Order: sequence, then structure tokens, then C-alpha cells
Amino acid sequence: MSTVNPAMPQPRGRKTFREWFAVPKNQQRVVIFTFAVVPVFLLIMFTYYPFMRMIEWSFYNMSYTKNRGFVGLKNYLDVFTRDELFATFRVSLYYMAGAVVQIALALYFATILSFKTKFTAFYKGAMFFPFLINGIAIGFIFKFFYTRGHVLDTTLGFFGIPLESLPYWLRDTSVNNWSLVATSVWKYMGQNMVLFSGAIMSVDTTLYEAAAIDGANKWHQFRYVILPSISTVLTLNVILSITGSLSAFEPPYVIAAMGSNGTATYFIQMHQTAHVQHKVGLACAMAVVLVLIICICTLIQKLIFKYAFRNAGTDTKPAKKGVL
Amino acid sequence: MKKILSLVLCLMMVLSAVSFASAEATVPTIDQIKLGEDYTDLTATIKWLTHRTDLVNGGQIAGYIAEFNKVYPNITVEVEGITDYAQDSLTRLTGSKDWGDMMGIPQVEASEFATYFTPMGSLETLSEIYNFADAKAFDGVVYGIPSTGNAQGIVYNKAVFEKAGITELPKTPAEFIDALKAIKEKTDAIPLYTNYAAGWTMGAWDAYIGGSATGNANYINNDIVIEKDPFSNKAEGVGPYAVYKILYDAVANGLIEEDYTTTDWEGCKVMINNGEIGCMVLGSWAFSQMRDAGPNGADIGYMSFPITVDGKQYASAGADYCYAINKHATVENQTATMVFIKWMTHESGFAYNEGGIPINKDGKYPDLYAAFAGIEFVPDTAAVDQQLVDDLNNDSMVLLNRGGDKKIQEIIEHAFNGTKTFDEIMADWNEAWTTAQEDLSIEVK
Repeated sequence: MSTVNPAMPQPRGRKTFREWFAVPKNQQRVVIFTFAVVPVFLLIMFTYYPFMRMIEWSFYNMSYTKNRGFVGLKNYLDVFTRDELFATFRVSLYYMAGAVVQIALALYFATILSFKTKFTAFYKGAMFFPFLINGIAIGFIFKFFYTRGHVLDTTLGFFGIPLESLPYWLRDTSVNNWSLVATSVWKYMGQNMVLFSGAIMSVDTTLYEAAAIDGANKWHQFRYVILPSISTVLTLNVILSITGSLSAFEPPYVIAAMGSNGTATYFIQMHQTAHVQHKVGLACAMAVVLVLIICICTLIQKLIFKYAFRNAGTDTKPAKKGVL
Repeated sequence: MKKILSLVLCLMMVLSAVSFASAEATVPTIDQIKLGEDYTDLTATIKWLTHRTDLVNGGQIAGYIAEFNKVYPNITVEVEGITDYAQDSLTRLTGSKDWGDMMGIPQVEASEFATYFTPMGSLETLSEIYNFADAKAFDGVVYGIPSTGNAQGIVYNKAVFEKAGITELPKTPAEFIDALKAIKEKTDAIPLYTNYAAGWTMGAWDAYIGGSATGNANYINNDIVIEKDPFSNKAEGVGPYAVYKILYDAVANGLIEEDYTTTDWEGCKVMINNGEIGCMVLGSWAFSQMRDAGPNGADIGYMSFPITVDGKQYASAGADYCYAINKHATVENQTATMVFIKWMTHESGFAYNEGGIPINKDGKYPDLYAAFAGIEFVPDTAAVDQQLVDDLNNDSMVLLNRGGDKKIQEIIEHAFNGTKTFDEIMADWNEAWTTAQEDLSIEVK
């Protein structure tokens, strides 16, 4: 052990690094630390630090090149009182409605494809494909798709619907938000479906047999076997879709000329505020408000799902026992 | 004695070296440079950020640089064309000090010029030599020299106007709307193409409310700041009200494209060239692009905005993007860039080739201004308090000439859907303007 030598200033009981490192527990600590330090540093540097600065800026009246001083909560008051800012959440309701349709469709297709179907892989691939296309490219595709007399109008023409009875898909304010929501559903439905079918595949197939023996039809199998088993993925998908619908940006920006004609979502308005009006402080406050709203939405969903699936655990376990 | 002599010699050499060094250490102002004589042996590589991607890809810019290198062979100019220039250049400028050496000044507040750019000379001296020298000046110092000058008018198709039986170009809003109606009745062309979807083409309407609509050079940067309710109808057929009313009336009378939400900027150039469009409200810079977009370039004409103030027509004129120099670059690079800017302004013929108003005062005007005979150019004077104008526009969110595209798009939406009358829209703008004036404690007259 360490020699007691008055000439050496080393304090008693202190081990050299080599000795300290020889202890397996300490080695483990070093390994954990060295592995963790890089991602944690990146996370703090590129996520938490900018986020903190954003919160700080939300209390200032500032542009990119100039800071005109602390204004307290004025920016937050403006978010709620300036009509053109908060009213954009109304547009988000369209996207939320779209999200519900999207989840329902995804669940439907995923369930159908989980039973014995021909060309399963092809259908899955075809439906997932739009998700792989860049959002801006999708924007340009649909811009032409919706242009008067182009793809959509001629396709409907094949079915005998005359051009005169069709609306202008992007001009008429009664339909233009639905047109944009449809592109968003088209893009993200496939992704939801793949997540669902992944979860459904992990359901124990013996459960279906057991359910069939008990006299359950396909709907019962879906309701009492599949749905409870995939509740986690369902919750995740709903949260992602709702937050996604609050932060919709690409469809109105690319297809509808930067959110003109009443299609501006909260994100578009934030972009306008920060980059056109150069009100960075106000835009930061808008972003903070959005974070809070997303948190609240997530919390509400959690509670709803907790209530909806309160028997999920007890439903499946006895069934399993029955098989055994 | 010899020692003294050598000492004196030594001293002289040191002194001359010092003076030489100090001459090297400062960047000359643009008026001090004699093109073809000064700095011909200067070696530097400079980087230029430009919004003219079309000229970069088309090789015209390389042509200018090749000409420049005949005189200044050791100055290498590298060019980067940026598609989304207004946004990207601002990000680069504020993000780092080594973005390059030369750029067109983006939307930076005038008080911030000195933070980023090299002074190019005093406003007093340069306004003798250049048109629009005050475009990017602050406190009597010029920070940017315009690349070319634009006049504000309307680009139109002569053949379409002829077919519609319009023999004389309209001079008042009423005559203009009548002309559009004639085009609609007698031809298949779209009378007025709005370019709604492109966005910035809508904000371009703001450029007409100053000199063109009032004949007052002081209007857009100074008078409007202290004016009460500038968007009201104060005199028949003049002022900002008349300008935006033309757009509203054209939409309300169905004189624009059928589906304005799917307009196509690149496509409109070909359409007007083919005679499918009657006219478009765009600055003179657009003329050359429309002319070159197809085989019927000779049909494209340019006319002044149809507003007559007390029997006389005016046309707002102003600077395009202004070349500025990175003050954080080395002295050699700053000097080389200054030389290049001077060469571009005096020798390149850039403004003429682009159909612009010449920047150096002895330059010649391109032919397209033929229709502007008898029309007075009104270059907007700089703001007395640039900061205040910026603040007023930003706070009111009216954003005149500052990317306020949305408010013009809304004019079209309201006119088309009948959701608001024109007077209601103008009342909204007046209210926002007044509130901002009060917040900034501006004394309104």
C-alpha cells in the first residue's frame, strides 16, 4: 500500500489514478462518463442552451441586429391580444381534424394488412412512399395537382364531374385549408401505418386463435386483442400527429404562397413575425407559448388514454393464462 | 560625416517605409481611386455574393469579370449567386465576419451599416458623382453604391394594347381600368397579371405610393411618417389610396387571372412575351427579363404608372441592391473590392445592359425609357431618421417596401371574396399606422 513518507506531500489515504482505476466500479464510471459526455454536450449545446436563450429573448423587444430593451411580459400579452397572431390557431384545428382522419385510416390499413392479404408488402410500400419525399417537393407536386384544369380537375372529369361544378381548390377559402390538410394526411398516413403494423405484428398470434375459439369475430379481435396491445404506439402516434398539426408549415408555405388566403398556421405567422417584421422577441414568445400549448395537449391526451385503456392490462393477462 | 549621412538615409528609409505602410493600411474612398492607374499591381482574391443567379448561370457576370481582369489581372473575383438572397445574405452577414468581401446590402437598419461595412466616401462628395448615392448612407457617410437604378412603371405588351384599341397610354387610374376592360373585351389576354403567389411581387406595389403617386420625393421616407391617416382618400386619383385602389378595382371587376393562388412567376415571363398577359406592375428591372423570355421581345414595352398629379406624371426611381464591402476583410481585399465596385459602376455597362438608370451621372439611359419622355424621375430622398421609419413600419406591420407582401395579397382576397370594402382595408391600415405613431410618440401633422 502507500508508503508513509514525510517527504512526500501526498495526503494519506489518497490513491493514485491507476489504483483508483483498477476498481471495476470506477472503470464503469469512467466508461459511462466518456460515453455520455459527447451526446450530453451536444444536447446542451444545441438544444437546451438555444432554448434558454429563446426564453430569455422572449422578454425583450429586439430584432436580429438590435436589442431595444427589456419589455417584461408585453410580448406574451401581444401573442394573446393581437388578433392576427393567436387567430392562426383556428387554422390548426383543420390540421387536428386531419390528424384524426389520418390516425383512423392508418389504423384501418394496418389492421387489414395484418390479416392474411395478398401483396401486403407492396401496399405497405406504396402507402409509406409519400413519407420519403421531401416536404418542399410535395408542395410543388400539389401546387400543380390543385391548379385549375390540372391533375385533380381532369381526374374528377373522368368520373363525369364537370369543371364548372368544381371549386378552385386553393382560391376558395371554404375548401383551401382542407386541400392543404389532405396533402399532410397523404404524406404522414403511411408513416403512422408502418408504426401501427409493426406494433400489431408483435401481438402474440395465439391470442387470435384463442379469441376465435371463444367466438370472437374480426371486429372483436381488433377491439379486444389488437387495440389494447398497441395502446402505447397509438398514444405516441396521436401525440406526434397533434403536435405535428400545431406546427404545420410546409403545405401552406409552399402550396399556398406563404400562408396567404387565410391558410397561415401558427408556424407561418411565427416565421412572418421573426423574418419579415424582424420582431424576434415577439416570435420567441410565440414559440414559448407553442411549447406550453403542446405540453398541455400532450397532458390532456395522456389523461384521456389512461381513462380509455384503464382495463388494458387486465384484459390481456387472463387471456394469456387461458391459452397456457 | 559618412555616419551622419547613412543615419539620415536610414531615417529617410524608415520614414518612407512608415508612410508607405500607413498608405497601405487605409482603404481609399471610392472617389479617390483612378481606374486603370491606381492599384493595378494589387494582388487579392475577393468573394462576391450576389442575388443575380440568372447572370451567374448565364455567364454575363463572368464576362464582366474577364473585362475587369484585363485592367486588373491580379485581382481574382469569385462569385456566389444566392437564390433566396434577401434571407440568406442577412443570415450570413449577421452570423459571421468572414462571409466574403462584397455583397448587395440586405435589409439592415441604416444605423447598423457601420457595424458591417466599409465607408465608401462622404455623401456630399459621392452625391456629385452618383445617382441614388444616399440609398445606403447614414450620418453623411455612404456604405453602398447602387448596382443599377430602377424606375417604377408598368411592363406591358404593346401588341395586346394595340389589339384592344388602346392608342394612348393611360395616364389616370380611371383610364387604366378602362384600358384593362378593353383588353378583357377585345382580346383573350389576361388584362392585369398579379403574380399573387410569388409574394414579393405583391409587396412591389408599395414602390408606387411615393414619387409616382405624389410627385413628392420626400413622401415615402419622411412625410408619411408624420402624416395623419396616410391611406385615406385625400385627393381624387393621387396618393397611396389611388395606387392600391387600382389593384382592388381590377380584382373586383374580374380583370386579373382567374385563379390568382396558382400564379407562376417564371411562367408569367413567357406568357407576357406571347401576348397572353396585358400588363404587370413591376419595376423597370423586370423589362429585360420579359423581353428575353421568348421570340416576341419587340412587343414588350414599359410605361409609367397611371397617376397624374396636377397635370404632370412622375415616376419613382431608386437604387437596386447596393454593393458594399466587408469591413472585417483585410485591407488589401477591401481595397481590391473598392476598385472592383468602382469599375462595375463606371466601366462595366452593367446598369445599361440591365435596362437600369445609370448610376454614374454621365452614364446613358437605355431605350426602354423612351415612353418616359416628359415624365419626371423622382428619386426618393433618404429618411431624416431612418431608425424611426423602420420602427414605424415594423411596429405597425404595414411594412411599406419592407416585404409587406401579405397586406397586398389581402387586398386581392378581400376584393375577390367581397369580404371587405376598399375603404375598410385602408381604415385598418390607418389605424395600425396611427397606433404605431402614438407608441413611438411621433408628432403627427
